[in-house]
Amino acid sequence: MGNKFNSIWQKYGTLGILILITVLLGILSPKYFLTPNNLVQVALQSSITILIACGEFFAILIAGIDLSIGSIVALTGMITAKMMAWGYSVPVAILVGGIMTGAILGAINGGLVNATALHPFIVTLGTQAIFRGITLIMSDARPVYGFPLEFKNAIAGWIWNIPIPVIIALAAALILSFVTDMTRLGRNIYALGGNSQAAWFSGINIKLHTLIVFIISGITAGIAGVVMTARLGAAEPLAGVGFETYAIASAIIGGASFFGGKGKILGVVMGGLIIGVINNGLNLLNVATYYQQIVMGALIIGAVTLDRFVSSRK
Amino acid sequence: MGYLLEMKKITKKFPGVTALKDIDFQLRPGEVHVLLGENGAGKSTLVKILSGVYEPTEGTIVINGKEYAKLTPKESIENKISIIYQEISLIDELSIGENIYVGKLPTKKLFNMTVVDYKQVEKNTRELLKKVGLNKEPSVLAKELSISEKQQVEIAKALSYNAKVIIMDEPTSSLTIEETKKLFEIIKQLKNEDVGIIYISHKLNEIKEIGDRVTVLKDGTYVGTRDVRDVEIEELVTMMVGRELKSKYMNVGHRQKGTKEVVFKVSNLTRADKRVRNVSFEVYKGEILGFAGLIGSGRTELMNAIFGADKIDSGEIRLFGEQLAIKSPYQAIKKGMALITENRRETGFFPNFEIWKNVSIEPLIKESKLGGIWGLLNRSKERDYAKKQKDLLNIKCSSIDQNITELSGGNQQKVIVGKWLAAESKLIIFDEPTKGIDIGAKSEIYNIMRELSDNGKAVIMVSSELPELLAVCDRIAVFREGELRTILTSDEATEEKILLAATSAK
Repeated sequence: MGNKFNSIWQKYGTLGILILITVLLGILSPKYFLTPNNLVQVALQSSITILIACGEFFAILIAGIDLSIGSIVALTGMITAKMMAWGYSVPVAILVGGIMTGAILGAINGGLVNATALHPFIVTLGTQAIFRGITLIMSDARPVYGFPLEFKNAIAGWIWNIPIPVIIALAAALILSFVTDMTRLGRNIYALGGNSQAAWFSGINIKLHTLIVFIISGITAGIAGVVMTARLGAAEPLAGVGFETYAIASAIIGGASFFGGKGKILGVVMGGLIIGVINNGLNLLNVATYYQQIVMGALIIGAVTLDRFVSSRK
Repeated sequence: MGYLLEMKKITKKFPGVTALKDIDFQLRPGEVHVLLGENGAGKSTLVKILSGVYEPTEGTIVINGKEYAKLTPKESIENKISIIYQEISLIDELSIGENIYVGKLPTKKLFNMTVVDYKQVEKNTRELLKKVGLNKEPSVLAKELSISEKQQVEIAKALSYNAKVIIMDEPTSSLTIEETKKLFEIIKQLKNEDVGIIYISHKLNEIKEIGDRVTVLKDGTYVGTRDVRDVEIEELVTMMVGRELKSKYMNVGHRQKGTKEVVFKVSNLTRADKRVRNVSFEVYKGEILGFAGLIGSGRTELMNAIFGADKIDSGEIRLFGEQLAIKSPYQAIKKGMALITENRRETGFFPNFEIWKNVSIEPLIKESKLGGIWGLLNRSKERDYAKKQKDLLNIKCSSIDQNITELSGGNQQKVIVGKWLAAESKLIIFDEPTKGIDIGAKSEIYNIMRELSDNGKAVIMVSSELPELLAVCDRIAVFREGELRTILTSDEATEEKILLAATSAK
C-alpha cells in the first residue's frame, strides 16, 4: 500500500502541486490569474526557465550540476548579437552564435570535468566566472542592440496565439524527453547517474556520456540565450545571472535527485511551470520582488522535504 | 544455567508481510549461538530487534530478569548488547582510538575547559587492542587498516562498552582463511570471559568450528535449535532449505573430459600499476577455471585488467583464437566478455532501475554502436530479455517491474548473472559470485556456471571459499602477491596445497 502511494506520488506529485498552486492563485486572484491572456503570459515567462532546466536536469541526472548556464545564456546571447551586428544573416547568427557556441561551452565544461576529475560543481563554478568574464570583455560591459526585425519576429514572435519561445521550450522538452526515455543514450545516462562504477563495468563510456550531458546543458542554455536576446531586443552582459538557481529548483521540484539517476523531463517542465506560476501569482498579488525570492527559496526547501517525507514512508 | 538474554514468541509484522513469527531464542553466557537461515529467513530482523532498530509486534525480550516489550537503541547499549555489522561502520578519517571512543571520549580539565583526554584514549585503546590481538598504534587512521583489522577494531569497540552480548553479522564474509582463524581465536577468548555471541553466517563449515548451539530460521519461522556437536551439516542444510538437496550441497560434478581445446588464453599479462605481473594461463573448453588466493593477492585486479576496466602494461589475450586489444569494458563486451564483479552494490547493479532495466543494459550495450550511445530502445524486446532470464534463473520477485534493491542478495546476483547471459557472452568471469548469498542460490549459480561451460563458453571463477572452489572447478589457479604461483587440477588440489601455494614464499 505504501509502495503504491509512493509510485503515484512519484508520477503525479509535481502535477498535483502545480494544480494546487494554480487553484490557490485562482481563488486568491480570480479576476486576473485564470484569464487566457495571463496563462499565456505565464507560459511565456516560464519558457526560458524550462529550457535551461531541461539541460540542467541532464547534469543533475548524472549526479553532477551545471552552475555555468546563466553565464552561457549571456555569452551565447552576446555572440549572437555581435554576429548580427557584424552582418551575418539571422539564421547563421542563431545557429553559430547561439546553438553551436552553447554546445562548445558545454563541451568545455564536460571536457574539464573529464580531464580534471573534479566534481562538476567546482568546474562549472569556475567556468561560470570565466564565461561571464569573456562576455564582459567582448561587450565592454555594455548591452548590444539594434537587430534585424526578422530576428525578433522569428524568435520572440507569435504563431497564431502562441508565443514562439513557448513553442521552442516545448519542442526542446519534447526532444529531450524522447532522448531520455526512448534512446540508448538516455538509458545509459540514467544508469551512469544510478551507479557510475557499475556503469563503467557494464561498458558505458563515462567520459563520453559526461561530455554529451554537458553539451546538452550548453545547447539548451545557448537556445535560451538567443530567446532572451530576442525578447529583450538587446544582449545584456549581465543577462542570466542567478538562472542556475531556477534551473536547479525546477529540476529538483520536478523530481530529480542530487544523487542522480532519478526524474523525468515532464516533471522538470512542471517544475519550471510551478516557478513561473508562483512568480506570476506573486506579481498579481502585488508582492514585491524581494519577497518573491524568499517565497522561491522556501518553496525549494519545502518541495524537496515533502518529496523526501513521502518517499521515506515505505 | 541463566540466560544472558531470552527472546520469547517474537513476532514482527511489516505492512503486508510477517517477517518473524513466534521466534524463541536464548543466549547463554560464554556460548557462540549461530543463527542460520537462507537470505530472507529473518536473521537480520531478529538481530535488529535486539539492537533496537525494530520494535517487535508481539513477544517479549528478557534481560537480567527484566522483561521488555521492545528495546530502544539506548536500552540495547545499556544492556551491553553490541552489534558488528557486515559492512564495517568505522569512520575512515578518525584514528583507531577515536573510533573506539567516538561518542564517549574521556575528558579532562585544561585551564578550566573540558578537553579530550587523548592520553587516556591511547592507554585504554592499547589495552583493548591487545585483547583483540591487533598490533597497531591507537593513532593509526581507520582508512589504513585492512577489512579484518577494521573488524578487530569493531570488536575492541564492543569491548569498550563492556559488551556482554556481541552480535556478529557474517563476520568472515570478507576475510581470508588466516584472518578467519584469528577472528575465531578472539571469539574463543571472548567466550572465556563469559561474553555471549550471536553469530550469523552462511558458511556451514564454520559452524562446526566455532559454534556451540545453532538456531535455524526459515521464512521467518523457527525451525529448531541444536547443539552443534550433536548435529550433522546435512541435517542443518535440510532444516534451512526444508528439502533434501541432492547429494552434497554444492557438488556439481566434475566433467573433465580431457579436452585440451583452448578457448581463452592470457600470456604474460602485467598491469600498468604492476599489481599483477607476468600472468599466463589458459581456459579449456568445458572446464571451469578457479582462482584461489588471499584477499588482495591480485585476482580481482587481474580480472578487471582482462576486462579492460583497468590499464594493462603488456601481455596478450586471445579469446577463441582471436587476439584482443581491449582498452575498456565496452570493447570487452563487444568481443563477448562478461565480468560479474566482486561487489554487487558498488559495481554490479543500478539501484535506480527495475529488474528489467538492470537485465537489458548489457544486451543493449552489446548491440549498440558509437560507444553505446546510438540507437532507440525497444521496450518489449528489453522486457522479453528480462522475463526470459527471470524464468531461466528462477529469480524470485513479484514482477520484473520490481526495483532491484527490493530483492534479496541471492536474487540480485541472479539478475546480474542474467544480464550477462542475455548478452550471450563467450567468456564469463565470476568474481566471488556467491558472496553473502544463501545456499539455495549458491547451488543455482554453480549449476549456471557448469551449464555455460558445457555449452562451450570459457568460465572463470574467483573465490575465497576453498570448499566452493574445490567442489566447482576443474582446475584451480593459485595467486600470491600479484603473481600466478601454480595451477592445480581438481584431482591433486586440496585445501592444504592451495593454502600453501597462496601463503608461503617460494
